[in-house]
Amino acid sequence: MARLRRFLTETLPVDWDQLRELGAEPVPHHLKHWWWCLGGTPLYLFVVQVVTGILLTFYYVPDPDQAWESVARLTHEVRFGWYLRALHHWAANLMIVAVMLHLLRVFFTGAYRHPRQLNWCFGVLLLACTLGFGFTGYSLVYEQMSFWGATVAANLVEAMPLVGPAAATLMRGGSEVTGNTLTRFFVFHIGLFPTAMAALLLLHLALVRLHGVTRVRFSHEDDRPGEASFPFWPHHAATELLIGVLLMYILTVLALALPPELGPKADPLVTPPHIQPEWYFFFSFRLLKLTSLQTSVHLTLVVGLLIFAWPFVEDLLHRWLRMPREASVVLGVLGFLGFLTLTVWESFAG
Amino acid sequence: MSLDAKRIVIAVLSFFFLGALLLVAWRETLRHTPEGEPPAIVTGSNQACVTCHQQHSASLVMQWEDSRHAKVGIGCLDCHRAAEGEPDAWRHEGQWVSALVTPLDCGGCHAKEQQEFARSHHAKAGEILASLDNVLAERAAGMPGNNADAVNGCLQCHGSIIDFEHDGEGRIRRTGAEKRPVIDPNTWPNSGMGRINPDGSKGSCHACHSRHTFDAKLSRAPENCGKCHMGPDHPQIEIYNESKHGIAFHANRHEMALDKDGSWILGRDYSAAPTCATCHISGYLAASGEVIGNSHDVGERISWTLRPVVSTKIHLVRFEDGYQENWPDTRPLPAPGDAVESTEHHAKDGRLVATPLTRRVRDVVTWEERRSAMKGVCLSCHNHTYVDNFYTQFDDLVVLYNEKFAKPAQAIMDDLTREGLLDPKTPFAEPVQWTFWELWHHEGRRARHGASMMGPDYTHWHGMYEVAKHFYEKFLPQVEELAARKGAAATWTPRLEALLAREEHAWLRGLSTQEARRLQESYEHRYGAPEP
Repeated sequence: MARLRRFLTETLPVDWDQLRELGAEPVPHHLKHWWWCLGGTPLYLFVVQVVTGILLTFYYVPDPDQAWESVARLTHEVRFGWYLRALHHWAANLMIVAVMLHLLRVFFTGAYRHPRQLNWCFGVLLLACTLGFGFTGYSLVYEQMSFWGATVAANLVEAMPLVGPAAATLMRGGSEVTGNTLTRFFVFHIGLFPTAMAALLLLHLALVRLHGVTRVRFSHEDDRPGEASFPFWPHHAATELLIGVLLMYILTVLALALPPELGPKADPLVTPPHIQPEWYFFFSFRLLKLTSLQTSVHLTLVVGLLIFAWPFVEDLLHRWLRMPREASVVLGVLGFLGFLTLTVWESFAG
Repeated sequence: MSLDAKRIVIAVLSFFFLGALLLVAWRETLRHTPEGEPPAIVTGSNQACVTCHQQHSASLVMQWEDSRHAKVGIGCLDCHRAAEGEPDAWRHEGQWVSALVTPLDCGGCHAKEQQEFARSHHAKAGEILASLDNVLAERAAGMPGNNADAVNGCLQCHGSIIDFEHDGEGRIRRTGAEKRPVIDPNTWPNSGMGRINPDGSKGSCHACHSRHTFDAKLSRAPENCGKCHMGPDHPQIEIYNESKHGIAFHANRHEMALDKDGSWILGRDYSAAPTCATCHISGYLAASGEVIGNSHDVGERISWTLRPVVSTKIHLVRFEDGYQENWPDTRPLPAPGDAVESTEHHAKDGRLVATPLTRRVRDVVTWEERRSAMKGVCLSCHNHTYVDNFYTQFDDLVVLYNEKFAKPAQAIMDDLTREGLLDPKTPFAEPVQWTFWELWHHEGRRARHGASMMGPDYTHWHGMYEVAKHFYEKFLPQVEELAARKGAAATWTPRLEALLAREEHAWLRGLSTQEARRLQESYEHRYGAPEP
């Protein structure tokens, strides 16, 4: 045993005491509440996505003539292929929900404020990345709905000011959604977005560690100053593990009960009578139906930029217009209700 | 939550997760277990048949094992059981059986289908055996003591009168230790649609539902009907294959749900193309959302008869005893309750006999109502204007054939016979009799059937073109030659001249100068001017 320890110490010149100290990072007491673990949840789901994504890539063929067929083969013939696809599908959906909830929690607890403004921006970029994953992944299935959804999305991108046409051409690989688009989406999905997300996650987590978790005190904890924090290991690690097992259980139940369907193969010559994107873009689709292409795209862009820069915008408004900081909560509630209304509206109206 | 509590929750959740994984594995196992057909159910009474015939006719048993019958325990004796005393019955391995399975046998379970079939035009297919077609097969092509052309040809579609060999005393000859009745080989094997069976029933379900798998896909497929509905005198399958319907079917066969168990409904189970069965037999989803039309009475939706010399619209007169007749629209219709003189065809001593009898009318389905039923099928894919205009085109073609060629030719043949120039006892002695026969029976039918099923080439080049060419170039010259030979030229030459003087034949006297020039210019434009 002693020899093994010596071998490890020599071959891995790590300061084990320092490592143990890192693991014993004091975690604020409020992290015992599960909703403070929403940052770890998408990270966990991201790992699930990476693992299942790699396995799916063994079978997926990014060619317009074979993409749908390869998904069909994976779903119907490959051993546990349906389970892999279902895990990937549901983990993607849960990841989007988890990132949104994490963002809401950070927003409504004011954790984005100084000195953590930059980490908020990284977080918003991570949300954008997650949505990009969802959009490109769904398009790779190459079924009628995803193909035509991509066509509509490309038109939305094209309507963006200044960079719109160039971005749309880059995204589509031409002026129309074609086989080139599928290849590009595949590259975005398994190359660009994972790299971007990994880099952003590193920055995001590094900043969390450098700043430390925002301390929040609950009124009933005021008289318990001694319990202000607890060690990361093993207490918080156990919470994360608990959430991990729970997530795997939920994902498996969802895979069994609601496996993703496979619609008819994409036909560029036949526009389906009814086009709808995945639920997380319902708000955008409803906005498009309610207004014009230009208005909806500009509105979405402005709101997106506002969310991205809110820590700085809030500061400016506070300094210049004396806007009370509590107003952010009201604006946040209104914004989120608006998002929910558009999403639910679209889901019912179709 | 304390650390210990967390550990317990993690352990419990892990068990749940493992349980869910077991379900995943179970589903995966189920997915990869070959589904396979459920096994054949061999009931006690059929066990001996199956065991023995697996050795003597293994494929026959395999076919049955693949059938729906086998899956629900319908076995050999359920269809082949006979009663002692029936002419086709013999005691086989302790059971009274018959090789012949008739519509009455099938009707034991499929009563509705049997009743619909029994009243249908298909069931009467054997009743045309006393026809000119048979004269040609039995006399012109056959010879005394050898009826092989009719046996191998006509009867295999129309159906034979199943008979047995008899001994000197008129009893059915029997053979072997089991005293199996000897069936006249000229009458069986036969799966003709209108076969007349020893039990008095007409038809053979096997004609469409081939034994012993009884696959629905066979009867739904057009090739099944094409066994008989083909050839120079009624090329329905060729016309269908030429039509847009046939093209759609062959391109989309895999989307036709031909293999579907149970009902097969247009607009619900398939939509890629119609087959013969779709338009004439099968059910369809009506505008009301109801499934209607499913019937084994194949002629219910037919509004013209396209078989005789001159076509007529046909009403369906239905009698209280379940029998029904097609009445031409030229015949006054009876009222419900009226007594009508009718005929019953049946077999007697191996021959078809007709017995007159009085039947009471139950109701009448007019040709308009029959057409409306057919339009119901068309409307599943087409709009009203499309369907109505199609029927206008079709009707006009039939009227054209009737008025320009069929009625004048029929009148000429009737007069030649009345005046003694033709002898009805020698229906194919004169060239004009052969020409007239082919004019209506082959070419005229091709034209009418072509139009009825939207086959352009059969309507024109195989149809009306041949009718016109042979009417002018063979039929009329042969009439003239016959009349001259029989010393009746003085009567017939002016009569034929009068016929050709009619407006529809005026083109024979030449085109106008303008028309001739336009024609020449068109050909020069298309194929180049002739060299000087």
